[in-house]
Amino acid sequence: MNVRPVALVGGATTPFGVRAATWPELAQEVGAALFRAVPALRSEDVDSLFVGAAEPERFAFQSHVAPLAAEQMGLRPTRILQRTELACASGQSAIRSAYAAIAAGLSDIAVAVGVEKMNLPSMAEANTAMACVMDRPWDGPHGATAPPFFAMVAQRHQLEYGTTEDQMAAVSEKNHRFANSNPTAQFHAKTFSREKLRRLPIVAPPLRLGDCSSMTDGAAAVVLVAEEFSKRYTDTPAWIRGTGQYSNFHNLANAGSLTDWVGLRHAAREAFGRAKITPDDIDFAEVHDCFTISEIIEYEMFGWCPRGKGGEFAADGQGDVGGKLVVNPRGGLLGCGHPLGATGVAQAVEVAQQFSHTVPAARAVPDPEWALVHNLSGSANVHSIMIYQGGAA
Amino acid sequence: MSAGTRPRRISTAPTAPGSEPTPAPPTPEPAPVRPREKRPFLLDFFPLETADQTRLSPFFDHLRAGKLTTTRCRKDHSVHWPPRTACPQCHAEELDWVDLPDTGTIYAFSAVLGGAPLGMEDEVPFAVGLVDLEGGSLRLFGRIEGRPWTELRIGQAVRVEPYDVGDGRFFYRFRVVE
Repeated sequence: MNVRPVALVGGATTPFGVRAATWPELAQEVGAALFRAVPALRSEDVDSLFVGAAEPERFAFQSHVAPLAAEQMGLRPTRILQRTELACASGQSAIRSAYAAIAAGLSDIAVAVGVEKMNLPSMAEANTAMACVMDRPWDGPHGATAPPFFAMVAQRHQLEYGTTEDQMAAVSEKNHRFANSNPTAQFHAKTFSREKLRRLPIVAPPLRLGDCSSMTDGAAAVVLVAEEFSKRYTDTPAWIRGTGQYSNFHNLANAGSLTDWVGLRHAAREAFGRAKITPDDIDFAEVHDCFTISEIIEYEMFGWCPRGKGGEFAADGQGDVGGKLVVNPRGGLLGCGHPLGATGVAQAVEVAQQFSHTVPAARAVPDPEWALVHNLSGSANVHSIMIYQGGAA
Repeated sequence: MSAGTRPRRISTAPTAPGSEPTPAPPTPEPAPVRPREKRPFLLDFFPLETADQTRLSPFFDHLRAGKLTTTRCRKDHSVHWPPRTACPQCHAEELDWVDLPDTGTIYAFSAVLGGAPLGMEDEVPFAVGLVDLEGGSLRLFGRIEGRPWTELRIGQAVRVEPYDVGDGRFFYRFRVVE
């Protein structure tokens, strides 16, 4: 089947953090930021809008958010308007859906936006919303949320491969350092040494506060267009060359090995096959570091290091500037915070900004050609991947 | 696992081939029942258990009788978790209830030291884990009681403990074997 080439031509991110702003206000704010960041964009040119939002029903007491977001952003979609929900990967789902629509010829110019408002007056209520991501009637009553699940992943990785808390802290130190160069990051102004990270309180043993991404409010938006429209908006498009997704369980009983993320390996094979490149071709990657152990296992599953060596890869700085590839130059979920629906879109904004050389030197990847974005969702039971190429068509 | 094997098949030999669970032995140390305040459904993690709400109400009846059970497909004999109304392998709807082992060992564990959902805040800290049921059939997630999390270890023996949620409903958890 012939698919039309699709370009990501620009994007914008609101400041992430504990925001004094509601869900609709975040949508307005990112709309304004998007039109500033892509000056040639006109509302009437946008034929489709895809809205990544994980839990507006729980966090903002609001369903039917796609037309709400359209109105807040000043858009009147004429072809496709829909929300995409895939928990932590809701934002990437919006981009993948926009990509599919444009590639198939159903849309020419689409906006993908991700919005999440997570900080509520009652954090117990917010934590209740987070627990709904798991298998609520079966795992939920036991108190299953992300931290204890990924803590068990870390415990097994420590047992099976000897991964250390210091190696996990190395991931957090790197991503927080990158976040210091990103003014939209939740922890933009905070510095964390490995020693400081290892003194933070334990959240779910063996994970400490610095091993965990946070509850974050924020929004991000990107513009995707068919090839013939790309020059109208930018000279430095990010071309979508491959994508892949895989899911093999939901209830925690069916997870199998906690340290072998089968779904990631399958999704990667699909995405790299479509892009006709190998993992070694990737210059920088925005991967889903919801927890430090996640990034360590992702190094292994993408094949950037051997199985079990992700901790050493982190401690050796192989995912840092000057290493094998730059991982999470935006600051990751650890440094930027993790507004569920916005994260995947904000990662794509970083890809666009790296390709257009508009990021600060501290996190600039030298002459990048290939970039990868990865999101897991839930208990790492879904993996979603996109591969972008910089430069002319 | 290769791409051709999805979705994951749970193959196991159930402990009893009958369609009805056997009566359970008396629980060694009945844990005290904590009264539970009524919550709106959308703020309550525990499922609605009665036959007018769920086709899986026998699961909860069996728990009330002291036994952890699940469904097994009459056609392909696959054993499911969680219990189901249709087989995920062959899509048959003819399923039987089978007993699950009431002992197991800890495969992995952690604890919730903060950030608990509504209704669980005063239970912090609490331990959770994945438990390999005896015989290697299923690996279930659940609360682990009986020891503080600092005294748990991988491989430790636990038993299945059905318990009264506090409002007449029953659920299950694990308790460390002394």
